[in-house]
Amino acid sequence: MPATTSRNAPEERLVNLVVALMATDQGLTKETILSSVAGYREQHEAGASKDALEKMFERDKENLRGLGIPIETIGERADPDDLREARYRIPTAEYALPADITFSPAEIALLNIAGDVWGSESLSADARSGLRKIRALGIAVDEPIIGYAPRIRVRDSSFPAFQRAIEECRVATFTYLRPGEARPRERRIRPLALVEYEARWHVFGFDLTMDADRTFLLSRVIGEVSLTREKFAPDLRQGAGERALAGLREVADRQRALLEVHPGTEAALRLARRALPAPQGVVVPYVDLHVFADELASYGPEVRVVDPPALRAEVVRRLEATLALHGGAA
Amino acid sequence: MRPERSLPALDRAALLLQLVPYLIGKGEVSVAEAAAEFDVPPAQMRAMVERLTVIGLPGERGFWQLPNELFDIDWDLLEREDVIAMTNTVGLERSPRLTAREAAALLAGLQLARTLPGVADNEFVAGLLAKLSRGAASAPPAVIVAPGPVDGVRDVVDRALRARVAVTFTYRAPGAGPTTRTVDPIKVHISTGQWYLQGWCHLRQAVRTFHLDRVSDPTLTDIPALHGADPVPELFAPTDDDVVARFRFPREVAPLLADYLERADIADDDEASVASLRLADEQSLKRLAARRGGEVELLEPEGARRAAADWAAAGLAQYTD
Repeated sequence: MPATTSRNAPEERLVNLVVALMATDQGLTKETILSSVAGYREQHEAGASKDALEKMFERDKENLRGLGIPIETIGERADPDDLREARYRIPTAEYALPADITFSPAEIALLNIAGDVWGSESLSADARSGLRKIRALGIAVDEPIIGYAPRIRVRDSSFPAFQRAIEECRVATFTYLRPGEARPRERRIRPLALVEYEARWHVFGFDLTMDADRTFLLSRVIGEVSLTREKFAPDLRQGAGERALAGLREVADRQRALLEVHPGTEAALRLARRALPAPQGVVVPYVDLHVFADELASYGPEVRVVDPPALRAEVVRRLEATLALHGGAA
Repeated sequence: MRPERSLPALDRAALLLQLVPYLIGKGEVSVAEAAAEFDVPPAQMRAMVERLTVIGLPGERGFWQLPNELFDIDWDLLEREDVIAMTNTVGLERSPRLTAREAAALLAGLQLARTLPGVADNEFVAGLLAKLSRGAASAPPAVIVAPGPVDGVRDVVDRALRARVAVTFTYRAPGAGPTTRTVDPIKVHISTGQWYLQGWCHLRQAVRTFHLDRVSDPTLTDIPALHGADPVPELFAPTDDDVVARFRFPREVAPLLADYLERADIADDDEASVASLRLADEQSLKRLAARRGGEVELLEPEGARRAAADWAAAGLAQYTD
């Protein structure tokens, strides 16, 4: 037998607790739990202090809630705020995947692809874990969708922090550097959605300093994101993803560059799918002046910016800096 | 399978909660198959199953649990055949709801999956999205993936994949003239918004990767794709290209260079980092240098430095009017 099996591993205690709380309809008091659920009981009988055991139970309860397990607290009828005699239970209906949710083989096939897109370790583990729960419902598997390997990459180190802030509805603060501004600034936002647009991740939220909705590029967040204790109402998140996306599209609709592109070049290939025909050259919508200037500068002589002047100036600035850095005469 | 890692107790508890419904659903399952499903090594799967058998309902006051109050498995079957079968359960029969995070990861994945040609119509996906949201313990954070523009090239490649026939197209490789290729499609990779086709190229008589933006005039052939199931390398497998290039950049710019740094060796000096990597072509880095306008300095080879200066100068020449 492997040496890893020991009688009192904490995960045993946690699962024992879940089993016990699901098996009861009227709920168990803390006293009953500590003296009868394996994992607590041994320590209780060995004379562990009540205080330490209660703290352990509180921690276990919070941890399990973090896994999405609905532990209900039923207070005294006479005084619901008095938790000394409170009873705890897990209602099966809220714990388990609803019985009326079923997945067809075709849906499972598509979910298998969806679960496989994440390049980053933590999101990929989340997706696979979710998929396991669904697959355990025991559906015959459809022909897998072959021939495709879609991937989403998240390289921005701030992504998990924003995701947690959204999940927990907590105000986040971070340092943000807007290109063209001399120094980075502190931002305080209610983060509402994460959006990938043109292969870049953005966080959309309500900027508490500006008192308005704002979208931030994760690649411009400097250093750590801090989650504050300040919470916001979960219903603010309603529809935020769609609003963020609509906002980005609206910007792209408004900001259009007039370009001359040399046919047959790399630039022509890369821009073709985004370009709209114009009487002279092509018109390409863009979301962010600086991000687009980066791209256009990389094309060097393959593309000339006609309009707007600000974009043209940014491209020229990049080319001049590149020339100077590599020993050319500017 | 991922390399062995030690999980926090809470994660191990979460796995046990998923393991029971999985084992019930399977009836009998080999240790190896269960281990693969749970992304753990077989030895860990065995340990998890053994651990399960000491878990159960609380004992009555003063008494330890009776055997029928604990999870149990067919031990003989496990010892003799490495097969897991549950013989007693005391709860946890149904899968737990998805956590908000699990639902978010799948929801975002679905948004990308729905952009695959011919995979699913909108109604189908909308139904699935709704089910996932309903199956979550709390509202999943919005993680949105905006679909990119669609085009005909992708559709033709998709039809070739499904029909298992070769596809013919014009291909413009970087820095080369157009060539006509006939390719047995094997796999389409989608990465950071770019689509790549891996397939067996009749011209090169080998597996090649084609960037779909460089493909034009695709047509379906009636040639059976005999190599359509050939093994393919990783999308950006390390190459044995012979040009070794070095470039210098401020550390804070590193996330913007991730595509390059992934396959580079990086050394730090006082204020900056220096990356060394192998390339097929010393000309290719000039685009990176211009993109990062003055932040990335190409150090070697000399030809790359010169190319960057010439590239920028030629770009600037367009504006001297």
